[in-house]
Amino acid sequence: MHNCVPRVFWAAALAAALASDAGAAKQTVKIAYIGPLTGGVSANGIGGRNSADLAVRLRNADPKAKYRYELVSLDDECKPNIAVQAATKAASDNSIVAGVTHYCSVAAIAAVDTYHKFGFPAVVWGAVLPDITYRNNYAEVHRVNGTMINQNDVAAKFMTGLKYKRWVIIHDTTDYGKGHDKYFTEYLTKYGGQVLGRFGVTADQQDFTAELTKAKELKPEVIYFGGLTPIGVRIRSQMERLGIDAVFEGTSGIKSDSYIDGLGKLAEGSLSFIEGAPWEKLPGGLYFIGKYAQQKYDQGPEAYGPFAFTAAGLIMDVIEQVGPNRRKVIEELRKTRDKDSIVGKISFDDHGQNVVPLITKYVVQDGKWVVWEDSEYASGRRKLK
Amino acid sequence: MSVLPGIASIAAMALYAAFFLHAESQAQVLGLVALGVVGVPVLARVGWIARTATSLEAHPLAARSASVAALAVIIALFHDQHFVMLMLASVLLYSVACLGLTVQFGYAGVVNFAGAAFLGVGGYTSAVFGPHVPHALVLLIGGGLAALVGSILILPILRTRGHYAALITVAFGILFRTFVEVNDALGGPQGLQVKGMNLFGWELNSPLRDLSFYANYVFVGLALAAAAFVLVRRLERSWVGLSLDAVRLDETAAAVFGIDVARWKILAFTCGNFFAGIAGAAYAMMTGFVAPNSFTFGDSLILVSIVLLGGLGSAWGVPLAAGIVLIVPEKLQALQEYRFLLYAMLVIVILLARPQGLIARPAREYFPK
Amino acid sequence: MDVGLFGQYVANGLMLGVIYAMVAVGFTLFFGVLDVIKFSHGDVLTAGAFAGLATYGGLQALGFASPAVQLLIILLVAVAAMAFLGALIAKYLVLPLRTAPPLNTLLLTLMLGAALRECVRLFYPQGANPKPFPRLLPQDAVALGSFTLRLDNVLLLLGGLAAIAAVHFVITRTKLGLAIRAVAQDAETARIMGIDFERVVLLTFALGSGLAALAGIMNGLYYSEINFSIGLLLGVIGFSAAVVGGLGNIYGAILGGFLFAGLQTVGAVLLPALLPQVPSAYKDVFAFAAVIAFMAWRPTGLIAEKTAERV
Repeated sequence: MHNCVPRVFWAAALAAALASDAGAAKQTVKIAYIGPLTGGVSANGIGGRNSADLAVRLRNADPKAKYRYELVSLDDECKPNIAVQAATKAASDNSIVAGVTHYCSVAAIAAVDTYHKFGFPAVVWGAVLPDITYRNNYAEVHRVNGTMINQNDVAAKFMTGLKYKRWVIIHDTTDYGKGHDKYFTEYLTKYGGQVLGRFGVTADQQDFTAELTKAKELKPEVIYFGGLTPIGVRIRSQMERLGIDAVFEGTSGIKSDSYIDGLGKLAEGSLSFIEGAPWEKLPGGLYFIGKYAQQKYDQGPEAYGPFAFTAAGLIMDVIEQVGPNRRKVIEELRKTRDKDSIVGKISFDDHGQNVVPLITKYVVQDGKWVVWEDSEYASGRRKLK
Repeated sequence: MSVLPGIASIAAMALYAAFFLHAESQAQVLGLVALGVVGVPVLARVGWIARTATSLEAHPLAARSASVAALAVIIALFHDQHFVMLMLASVLLYSVACLGLTVQFGYAGVVNFAGAAFLGVGGYTSAVFGPHVPHALVLLIGGGLAALVGSILILPILRTRGHYAALITVAFGILFRTFVEVNDALGGPQGLQVKGMNLFGWELNSPLRDLSFYANYVFVGLALAAAAFVLVRRLERSWVGLSLDAVRLDETAAAVFGIDVARWKILAFTCGNFFAGIAGAAYAMMTGFVAPNSFTFGDSLILVSIVLLGGLGSAWGVPLAAGIVLIVPEKLQALQEYRFLLYAMLVIVILLARPQGLIARPAREYFPK
Repeated sequence: MDVGLFGQYVANGLMLGVIYAMVAVGFTLFFGVLDVIKFSHGDVLTAGAFAGLATYGGLQALGFASPAVQLLIILLVAVAAMAFLGALIAKYLVLPLRTAPPLNTLLLTLMLGAALRECVRLFYPQGANPKPFPRLLPQDAVALGSFTLRLDNVLLLLGGLAAIAAVHFVITRTKLGLAIRAVAQDAETARIMGIDFERVVLLTFALGSGLAALAGIMNGLYYSEINFSIGLLLGVIGFSAAVVGGLGNIYGAILGGFLFAGLQTVGAVLLPALLPQVPSAYKDVFAFAAVIAFMAWRPTGLIAEKTAERV
């Protein structure tokens, strides 16, 4: 009796599938989007999802496309264990061909082994930890944005160039924060700056008064912060509370509108660095923003949205070329050289990393992130502390 | 008491589970959930659940064989679907841990809100010892370490009663998570990668033909769950179980009758943590990853809600409840976000309406027929 | 370490202590009256803070400008809302389970807390993100050497102490307080004496929950930020503080609150000084380990409750 049941199942399932598929002419191909849709950095995650969604919509509106694409979005909550679960879910579903994956470095570094285990092609769009592509040589993992190495090189060189000498480093204890600490310290010592003290804080810490009181003792000129927006907001706010008068130098982790929303006027004069040319100034960028606005999403693309858009577009281009087969997609992705995109040319090196040499510096001016060269700080009309 | 009600119930549940796991569209899933939500009180009202419980009690061998057979059928049906196999294995391993918790507070009344911490001890043991020590041994070490770590709590637990004892386990759970998060030697917040299980040369991460490699873990999970189940049942029916029940029901009276309360509480607590450690070690090897965020207070609450939902002290209720708590939210995509809220409300409703759980623990038979 | 810095640490510790003490007093009140640990207390604090934030949003929309008036209205609305919520919880969830084993009530309130937390996360617009809390207190600060004395810190500290003192006054000098103490001592006899048991219980829960709402708003004003999970840790800490001080005793709760804050501050400062590689994040590990050790030494807390057990 138990043996008849499966046959009945499959017959019913097949009938249902055929019925629902009767109208479609093109084959539907699914690609996954994995990002932090909830939690402190959800603005970036939702912005990334909307950007990937935009790419899929534009492709589906193109009559020359061979397939119809569907975006399956999963939440990694910016937590490593949830990221592994989401990655397992996407990779173990044979109908999903490839993934636009991860904003948070902690999520990406945890999930890469899963992608390798299942042979699932993944293109990282926001995580900057170098280990993600360089720790192992996984054929499956690629990345369109840059790593934190160049970011920290520019961050150190720029501030020492402005004649600052005394630093205190505050970083979160995840691999992301520790990576920033490592690279920034390396470059800062190279350019002649001095690290007076270094404090590790947990990624969900509320109260920084203990660390900041000790930092105040050291009398730094600049406080460098290696971490994400939620604790960046808290640290900056508590710096004010304790009367610490220093420049707040952050990384790409704080370049988001939620940083400014969280601090109001206190955000003025905070610095951040991000890879790539300011895409607002490139024609591809303006095209992207125009199309994005047309869709009327209720969340902006944030800093890394264009990278998510690029990653999705790249995956779909490759699928159009070789078909919805994971292995072929992996091989073809690795061969990408000098491919045009809205964030510039994409070339993957032997570890699947796109080389992005240009870093843009940003400063908060009047409640907005402004490119340093365009700001009144650069022209001398305003002064950092 | 005939064996038929028990077997019939198991077969019906297997059929329901098969349909549920196969359902694709949300409409189908919701329909099945509605069927379950309506069906269970109706069955309870006509006394079917009580009859099933008694039947399962009366014919243990038949009941266990039927469950294993039902599980084999489900494995056969879904043998190549990774995610279904992963869920099945998770249910089995969580059952092992929750059976341990059942011994702790279902039988001995020692409340434990740090179940996830002991799962974590097992998990980190796999991560640290996995590359160097044979994995069968790693499982045992995981259990042993969990029991050992639990033993530091014994003194405070023995000296306190009720709420104070609960506080100790809650504080410990939070302490454990904070400790592994700040401790870089154990990977810090990023956690550690864990090697896949390799039992006596059988590499579980490599698939057998077109069988999903997670199915290998289902087999291991089944072996562990079956062993735990048999052990817990034997324990319950023995004089050990009798003493534990006495300690739970009335400590003073038990002490008056010469039962060494401290000794039984220690035994129950240690035994329960041992199970949780083994389950945690196996689970970590299956997912390949441990991180502090997997073992929070919320996760401990999920374990407690499984034990309560199944029926406090009821060994049959545990796998059933684990199945419901772990599988239903996965299938209801729309409810992914609301998952934890629904657990919480489910437990509240159960505590108010049916505190004895789904399969209430049947009354002890002092004079077996 | 110079005096100014030491003073800064003391000030930080005091602020934390006041907030913990307020939560602990709530726990102790509920335990005293109904022998129940209402674990959802921490999440009521969160709900109160969010209620305050929502009210602020409403006030902004309506165009009220003065921060003092805004603060007053926010406090009133949050405290009243949480008092009401507390009474509801008591009436429909805690009182019916009075005769059930204590594990059930414990579990129920734990799950209720989780449900409250999830509701805030899911139903408040973008509840999962940390939310900036308006800075409604005057922001002036005076720098005395390396110690920054801020007016808002002082106001918060005084406000918290005043609230605890007010609760103490209610408990010891008013008729309601007398009724609460009577019910806490012996519920049956109190009823024989004509005290309306249910009304007293509801009022006690309302009082405790209102205090939690106040603590939530204070927490928001201090950190200028709230998020949906502040209640979890604060609840556990408040419970630990109440237990360490001795359940059922208000003085014990206050003592426990400041003691726990002291443990955390000592952990944050001393540990890195003694063992340089240890980051100050170990302070929570230290504090909770100390609590567990303490419970082994004094199982019923500093000011032990006097219990009579019927055998």
